[in-house]
Amino acid sequence: MSKASYLRRYWQLYALLALPIAYFVIFRYGPMYGVQIAFKDFNLFQGIGGSAWIGFDAFREVFGMREFYTTLRNTFMLNFLDLIVSFPAPIILAIMLYEIRSVWFKKISQTLLYIPHFISWVIIGGIVYQLFGNQSGMVNEVLVGLGLDPVPFLTEKNPWLITYLFTGVWQSAGWGTILYLAALTGVNRELFEAAEVDGATRLKKIRYITLPSIKPTIITLLILNLGKMVSIGFDRPYVIGNTTVREYSDVLSTFVYRIGLESGQYTQATVIGLFQAVVGLVFILGSNYISKKTTGDGII
Amino acid sequence: MTVNTNQGFWKKATGITLTAVMGVSLLAGCSSDSKENAANGGKATEGSSAKRVTLKVEVFDRGNSPAPQTITNNFLSKLVQKNFGDPNNIDVQYVPIQRSEEVTKLNVLMASDSDVPDIVFTYDSSVFYRYAGQGGLTDVGKLLDEYGPNLKKFIGDETLAFGQLDGKQFSIPGKRAITGRYSSYIRQDWLDKLSLPVPKTTDELYTTLKAFKEKDPGKLGSKNIPMGMALAPAQFETLIYSFIKPISGDLTYSQRYELPLHEGFKDAMQFMNKLYNEGLISKDFGLDKDKTQLAKDIQNGNTGYWSEDVDAQFYKDGTMDNLYKNVPGSKVTPVDVYTNAKVDNKYIKSRYASNGMYIMIPKSSKRAVEAIKYLDWMSTGNNLIDIYNGVEGENYDMVDGIPVVKENVSQEFADRLFNGGDMAIISNGKNLGDQATNEKAWVMGFPKNNQEMLKQSIAIANTDTVGPIVFGKPIEGEAQYGTTLTDKLDVIIVKTTMAKPDQFEAVYEQEMKDFMSLGGTKLKEELEQAVKELPAK
Amino acid sequence: MSERTSNRIFDIVNITLVTLFVLFCLAPFLHIIAVSLSSNRAITSGEVTLFPIEVNWDAYIQVFSNDSMIHSLIFTIILTVATTVLCMLFTVAAAYPLTKKNLKGRKVFMYLIVVTMFFSGGIIPEYLLIRDLKMIDSVWALILPGLVSPFNLIILISFFNNIPPSLEESAEIDGSSHFHTLMRIVLPLSMPVMATLALFYAVGRWNGFQDSLMYINSPELYPLQLKLFQMVQNNMVSELTQLEGSNRTALTPESLKAATVIFATVPILVVYPWLQKYFVSGVMLGAVKG
Repeated sequence: MSKASYLRRYWQLYALLALPIAYFVIFRYGPMYGVQIAFKDFNLFQGIGGSAWIGFDAFREVFGMREFYTTLRNTFMLNFLDLIVSFPAPIILAIMLYEIRSVWFKKISQTLLYIPHFISWVIIGGIVYQLFGNQSGMVNEVLVGLGLDPVPFLTEKNPWLITYLFTGVWQSAGWGTILYLAALTGVNRELFEAAEVDGATRLKKIRYITLPSIKPTIITLLILNLGKMVSIGFDRPYVIGNTTVREYSDVLSTFVYRIGLESGQYTQATVIGLFQAVVGLVFILGSNYISKKTTGDGII
Repeated sequence: MTVNTNQGFWKKATGITLTAVMGVSLLAGCSSDSKENAANGGKATEGSSAKRVTLKVEVFDRGNSPAPQTITNNFLSKLVQKNFGDPNNIDVQYVPIQRSEEVTKLNVLMASDSDVPDIVFTYDSSVFYRYAGQGGLTDVGKLLDEYGPNLKKFIGDETLAFGQLDGKQFSIPGKRAITGRYSSYIRQDWLDKLSLPVPKTTDELYTTLKAFKEKDPGKLGSKNIPMGMALAPAQFETLIYSFIKPISGDLTYSQRYELPLHEGFKDAMQFMNKLYNEGLISKDFGLDKDKTQLAKDIQNGNTGYWSEDVDAQFYKDGTMDNLYKNVPGSKVTPVDVYTNAKVDNKYIKSRYASNGMYIMIPKSSKRAVEAIKYLDWMSTGNNLIDIYNGVEGENYDMVDGIPVVKENVSQEFADRLFNGGDMAIISNGKNLGDQATNEKAWVMGFPKNNQEMLKQSIAIANTDTVGPIVFGKPIEGEAQYGTTLTDKLDVIIVKTTMAKPDQFEAVYEQEMKDFMSLGGTKLKEELEQAVKELPAK
Repeated sequence: MSERTSNRIFDIVNITLVTLFVLFCLAPFLHIIAVSLSSNRAITSGEVTLFPIEVNWDAYIQVFSNDSMIHSLIFTIILTVATTVLCMLFTVAAAYPLTKKNLKGRKVFMYLIVVTMFFSGGIIPEYLLIRDLKMIDSVWALILPGLVSPFNLIILISFFNNIPPSLEESAEIDGSSHFHTLMRIVLPLSMPVMATLALFYAVGRWNGFQDSLMYINSPELYPLQLKLFQMVQNNMVSELTQLEGSNRTALTPESLKAATVIFATVPILVVYPWLQKYFVSGVMLGAVKG
């Protein structure tokens, strides 16, 4: 194709891209010079340009901190558990909703299921303590009333991890179904009719029709999720965590918050951010590559 | 067919876009108008002089502005403009900063140079030292002499020293009206039921708690909490201070996370461990950082003895009112029981330093003179009283030199004062004169039925107090390890308290080793060195 | 076991499980409603669970009689609608060209976009940028920095990619322009995902307040969630307020916080049921046939 005919054919697409690209250049890449803080002894008043270069000193310092490794380990652990438990939850829930035939029941359920997404973590935290405290938690009051031993939901490692995962599923599963439900609208109903004629069971239909039709969405979200393995939101571990389980609930984001915002060590905080970015990028590109090789689907 | 309906959607969507964008720009337009109006206060005076300047002042926004007032345009901001701004040809403009995001935002503003207000402040000494150390603050020493004589007198040399670094006055510390912090309380009706005297020493307290546990005077069964505890300073600090040996006389290290560096800290933890394992303190105290559960237990009458911030329970419809409502016949007595064996069995407890927030003028500010004038104005005449109390005759009456807040004033009048404490930055609490007068004025602001008990609490809070050493220079270790060690202190308290008695030693050793390796060692060396360098008294 | 009975069992189990989960999700919300209607004494004494105690409407009267709350609600609605529309326009404009495998530079753009998912300049350079663009204390600071979410963009690309190529090709053979194909074929076939992403953007804007903490100084431009944040967070007894000592202000009553939560949440909750009508099954099928 000649240049002229290529342009004639594609100029509209470039025109469409122009504004979004301008957006990315100005708002996303514009402030990107801030990453050099990681290599500088950052002084608020001399600014990023005026601060002195220190090379990799801050990297050496951060990689020498024991807290860095414990918080990194916890971040990995919590994200990995989330990947196993919280990632499939909305898929299962979406399929369950899809299988419901009563239209009004389905609509009402969907609407109610996504409520927890709108309750902020501070408030969830308060409710979790009311429910799961050792002495005063309602769940334990019931357990004790039944003559059982109270469960240390918040103060011992394994029960706490379950509480953490449970609140995560509770908070995000309903919200997570929305995208899958959108994908499920693309399922060809005729396939079900054909399967019906063949006498396929409900589970078989889910296995061979429903799931494959949302496979691209699952893969896209899985890859995006894998990219986030070393980054973690601040609120959930902070609010659900507490001093008694600090050795498991302390994660990179809470660590960055402590040293960066509270102690004003922007350089060290930026180093950690940069570390997370590089690892995240490697993870997402790696999983994209593997996914393309094995399933043919990917994000790029 | 689908295509058709969707075209309809797009038409609609475009319509919405247009109206929305227009709506937004309209909103933006009118808001910037109102801003200008607010900032300019009275435009009439502007013509007289071309050199009218704008002074930007930080203000904490707590989201409690009663409509129609806002945090930047309210009764007090107008009062300032009228009484200070207009006569001096200055527009005073307030820059709101959300209370809980204070330091984050302040850092960004400081880095932005041009947007930073001319007057900023923080309660955090390490933030002040960081700004000063990085060369971002104006040395106001000379300016104070020239433009702030009243201010200087108001704050006093002793408090001003908190704002100095290497002899330079990089900040103006606010003056604190009341330095007492904590008091403790016991259920008198429980004592009466068991015919027990009010405990007077830590040992007697222990015996009393045991009796509370075994005889269960409240008939509460498993809900019985002889001693209320939370993972909050008011509860554990009171106990720890009664075990440690202060560094020098009635002075000691200023930061809470420096408690483990004191002799006697281990004894305090050992005592906590004993109380916990014998079931005498709240089981879930480690989860209760914000004291919600503690307050709940007290209000429901489940708690026999506890410590609290001196004022915390006496607000209208507060903990005390609720307890009396929930448990008829209950009676609470303020008590002072923690005796410190290392200091002649005195009731050692911590007090606030005499300073409030650190008020700073960024080096980039071109309005340092006006800033000092503003603060100086605040310290003169009745200005501070008015900022705290409103209009004389409408909001308060002067009785024996103390402003007494009128009861049953109209909502409009009451709403004037929502931000009084946050506007009066040079003063923490109502400063009227000496400590006793200030306390009297403070008590007047509380509901009548609680005033007597608050008075007793304040008396207890002022007994045998220990305050912070002022080094006059930053402790590097505090800036560097402060937040990490604050966190670690909580962990030490929780872990050692909740350990089985026979594992206490091991857990304590392990946690302290951690504490020291996370920066405790360096901090300790630096503090000890700094103590040595202190000028002999 | 006959097919019908097994079907019935499946339905019963399925509906029971979904109902249980719905109740789990609903309970905390009911708790917050109960708190908003209860007396303060009952709340701080821990008596309120799912039903209000000593019922009163004071908190709601206070919220609704507060002009700044109403103003903030209206502002937030306009802000959310405007943000959503602009975000969708930009996201669609970016996504559609990036589905064309032959487009030169496509891969480069993709990589550049993915990089921004991980790397950012940090709050100080971002603040300086907004300042230099003269957008401090303006609504644009709340709209423009988040115009395209790379996450949403990648999802949209992935959905566009699932449209059978034959549909677009037939349009292109007909000589229709790219704009035309996008408007007539691609978008109508993508209504469910468009509705979903619009919801993501709307909810993200509605729930977001961090940017307003940094960029907004005028109370007239406070989004609702910032006001909620102030109430819930600024009021908490914490390390922070320790040193305020006798300067401490009385806390906001729990019932007022809860009523504000309800006030700030219900408007956005009703968006999804409304969007559900775009979740029509078989759109694709109809198009293929047509």
